[in-house]
Amino acid sequence: MDWTPLILSAKLAFWTMLLIPVLASPMASLLAFGRFRGKSVLDAIITLPMVMPPTVLGFALLVVMGPRGVIGATWEDVTGDRLVFSFSAILIASLVFNLPFAVQPLRASLEKLDPRLLESAAVLGLSPLAAFFRIVLPNCLGGLAAASILVFAHSLGEFGVILMVGGSIPGQTQVASVAIFEAVEALRFNDAFLMSAALVPVCFAVLMIINKINARRT
Amino acid sequence: MKRIVSLVLAICLLIPNAALAADLFLAQAANFTPVLKEIIPLFEKATGFQVDATYASTGKLYGQIVNNAPYDILLAADEKRPDKLYADGLAEKPFVYAKGQVVLWSANKDFCGDDWKATVQNAAVKRVSIANTETAPYGTSSMKAMQAVGVWDTVQPKLVFGQSISQAFQFASTGAADAGFCAYSSVFTEEGKKGCFTVVDEAPPVVQAACILKSAPHPEAAKKFVEFLNTPEVQALKLKYGYK
Repeated sequence: MDWTPLILSAKLAFWTMLLIPVLASPMASLLAFGRFRGKSVLDAIITLPMVMPPTVLGFALLVVMGPRGVIGATWEDVTGDRLVFSFSAILIASLVFNLPFAVQPLRASLEKLDPRLLESAAVLGLSPLAAFFRIVLPNCLGGLAAASILVFAHSLGEFGVILMVGGSIPGQTQVASVAIFEAVEALRFNDAFLMSAALVPVCFAVLMIINKINARRT
Repeated sequence: MKRIVSLVLAICLLIPNAALAADLFLAQAANFTPVLKEIIPLFEKATGFQVDATYASTGKLYGQIVNNAPYDILLAADEKRPDKLYADGLAEKPFVYAKGQVVLWSANKDFCGDDWKATVQNAAVKRVSIANTETAPYGTSSMKAMQAVGVWDTVQPKLVFGQSISQAFQFASTGAADAGFCAYSSVFTEEGKKGCFTVVDEAPPVVQAACILKSAPHPEAAKKFVEFLNTPEVQALKLKYGYK
């Protein structure tokens, strides 16, 4: 029994969880506070990966990140390495795929923020930056935590997108879901069962944590 | 508004019925897709039956069949799984319907010559796609070819694995992989014609067997289809797509 796919999945989930706030926070703020034309279009674009079939998204990413695609070609020029079929590729795919799952809870928690709090802060002479760290961040910590943990669990189970851009290379892109799928196809049901049995309690625990956070917030 | 909603719902309810109305339901290993797409209209014209087919890897189809999927015939990419279905009493006696050949295909015409071994070892070829060597017979055959000429160990770090031979071709045709071990039949698709290929002679032919399932909902049509597979028309089609 080879546990590498599970470790790889955990690594992917961890990096996705770590990087997603950097991407999702500005977008969530833009959607929560921004008043501009085309906001609903931006909203739809960000939410699109949530409703698109993962294989469609995966195929689009495979083309864009391939050596003939914009991102893939730029990546190859800069780093000298091929982007698709690498850990970076599945991480990028995972970030795109998970973006709506992080933006939505963050946006909700930002919209719940009482605008009077920020107004009082401004009146009392707090700079916008200080207001962000002392008012916005503490008030939205719950939303941020919920988003990150949800994304972590979601990345653990990722399948369709990774299958398309990953190429199932053991130790590099063969994540748990793909390894389980292959084990079932090869009729190695025992391996598939063991790996699934390891995944389920982790996902269950994650959902319990999210419930705890949500309960404390309301 | 209510009327529109009811109308849409009614249409949605009707669509699956239309799909279920087929007289024959085939489970086809992905590599044979281009040929079968030509065989089906011929068969429909000859018999008046309506045929539906699903295309997936042999392993996936096998998994569906042992779980009571309502197929009539399994057209596998190997002999192993039809034999197993037969041994388990789930299918009639299997028969060979095609012998496939592995080619090395590339979207980049610089990467094709007489010698596929040189191509896969070429430093400019960074990634080579191959079907899963454990579950896809074309993958196994490609691996055996590389082992036979002694390049398996050197090429292995370049390999990316598709779940089926179709995905191996998809990786190569999008340019994500520089070259790929594909089925000869994929060379004849729209995408396949855009690239170039070298026949991998060292790869053992992929013997593809089929069987009628014991649980077939349409046994009569299934029998007719099996007979139809032996007609000269179908033989000619198979040759056209690189099968023997």
